[in-house]
Amino acid sequence: MDKSESIIYLKDVMKEFKILNRHEGLKGSFRDMFSRDYKTIKAVNQVSLEIAPGEIVGYLGPNGAGKSTTIKMMTGVLEPTSGEIYVNGKVPYKNREANAQNIGVVFGQRSQLWWALPLVESFKILKDIYRISDKDYKDMLELYGSMIDMSALYSKPVRQMSLGQRTLSDILAAFLHNPAVVFLDEPTIGLDVSMKAKIRNLISSLNQEKNTTVILTTHDMGDVDALCKRIIIIDKGTMLYDNHIENLRSFFGAYRTLKLNLNKRHEEVTEKVQTENLKKVRELLTEKFAQATFTYDTDEEWVSILIDESQVPLMKVLSFLQEQLKIYDVRLEEISTESVIKKIYENNENSEK
Amino acid sequence: MKKLKFYLRIYFKILSQDIKSRMSYRSDFIISMIGMVFTNVVEIAAFYITFLNFPSVCGWTYYEMLFLYGFSLIALTPMQCLFENNWNLSRNVHRGDFIKYCFRPINIFFYYFSEIFDIKGLGQLAIGIGTLIFAWNKLQLPVSLIIILELLIALIVASLFFIGIMNFTAAVSFFLVNTGFLIGTMSKFRDYAKYPVTIFSKGFRFIFTFIIPIAFIAYYPSLVIMRPNEIPVLTWLAPVFGVVFFYLSYKFWMLGARKYSGTGT
Repeated sequence: MDKSESIIYLKDVMKEFKILNRHEGLKGSFRDMFSRDYKTIKAVNQVSLEIAPGEIVGYLGPNGAGKSTTIKMMTGVLEPTSGEIYVNGKVPYKNREANAQNIGVVFGQRSQLWWALPLVESFKILKDIYRISDKDYKDMLELYGSMIDMSALYSKPVRQMSLGQRTLSDILAAFLHNPAVVFLDEPTIGLDVSMKAKIRNLISSLNQEKNTTVILTTHDMGDVDALCKRIIIIDKGTMLYDNHIENLRSFFGAYRTLKLNLNKRHEEVTEKVQTENLKKVRELLTEKFAQATFTYDTDEEWVSILIDESQVPLMKVLSFLQEQLKIYDVRLEEISTESVIKKIYENNENSEK
Repeated sequence: MKKLKFYLRIYFKILSQDIKSRMSYRSDFIISMIGMVFTNVVEIAAFYITFLNFPSVCGWTYYEMLFLYGFSLIALTPMQCLFENNWNLSRNVHRGDFIKYCFRPINIFFYYFSEIFDIKGLGQLAIGIGTLIFAWNKLQLPVSLIIILELLIALIVASLFFIGIMNFTAAVSFFLVNTGFLIGTMSKFRDYAKYPVTIFSKGFRFIFTFIIPIAFIAYYPSLVIMRPNEIPVLTWLAPVFGVVFFYLSYKFWMLGARKYSGTGT
């Protein structure tokens, strides 16, 4: 893929901020007023990526990782300190208004619609702002009508909407002018399960119907599993991962979770019993497989052990434990996206220490 | 030109929708109207009572003062109606809500101010016009097409100055944290705009002319009509100053908006 084929192209993008070194206490804040003691932090450091038209990419990272900063640079709101950015073949910062014509943005809990106006009136204003032709506008509304029940939203002022309805409306508004790229920042935050599903469906159908590229930042792995084939992980400004979501699971070795139930059926399981069980398992495994590292956890009646199969096969662990303990029930689980990503963040933490 | 038409079209669309929805909060609308009328009536009464005791202040008669008062009310209206959102800027910036104005393919300054139209300002405009006509009549000032034209220009210039002052003040919140009080303080200064600048001491006269140019909100422009025989140079320069001042305030505001988007979410 090269610059001309990708809809979004970032090369060695870096963004630095100057931050005042703050001092403690009243005396310190007084000093800060006159201080020139700045430090430079790299919010985004040497990020390069290319995104093809029609992709849905999950852009993940812990809070403060540099996600918003990258998005702001791609939307033309922020100028990179160095590096190249092209969206739709244009440099966003130099053409903020032209770039805005070709993108849609939804920022989680901040509605961009006119608070007091019914949704349909907001749409009409957007139609003018983005110079949408009557035909395209009509077609788009028809498409929306075929995807969700618009009658509940159409004539309702935004301020009277529930959070879910508002998010839905914001997403519809972002796609209204049929932009090439839509940036969605935490679109499902604070929503109930059924609303989340509804919103994921909407995003996925709009992406398929219009071949819109979607950049999705979220902390909800449900969003990622439902929508993204590719994910990009960033932490402390540096890119940690950019690949197919299927490959993610093998990225940090072949992890699988072994869950054991060591309690008799119908027996009441207290926290104390579980702590005991966990301790026992831990002692056994540490003694037997000294070279391997395991991650332990308990929930309800289960003791779960996260095993890296490149170190020791899961079946070997199981058969060993079976000889030592009375096991009443067993479960095997593939590691969830969430756990892998947690692992990636943690590894990054550790590597810095 | 095409661009102007585009912006006007969007503005009136938003405006008409906004007024429509605003009217639906009828009691809110009526109560704030009453409040606004009451404030102005009390202020005119205070004027009147003062002048019962003094025939004139520094050579300014009661009706001349009333003329200035009416003039300033009209000149303040465009700020109140069209640029009302300056009042919310500090909060919008502080909470990070300002970012939403940066994603549309239109001018940020325009988009930000198009969002709110304060219809209550129209009541103030009505009182201002009433007061001005009353004082005009009492002062037996002449009326002609040229004079009306001069009045309109003077009013526009005066408005530009006030909007400029408020733009500058509000835009400070792009650069410094928690400056919400500033705009309140600055808008207090507009009360001094209702008085002829000659009643102040030399120091204040300088400040109100060149630093915080509130003397241009009523005093200098209105002299064209009120005392056409003794127009100072500053009055002639006011239109140029007004346009330049407004333009600079716009540039400063936009500079802030650009800088703002650099900070976190």
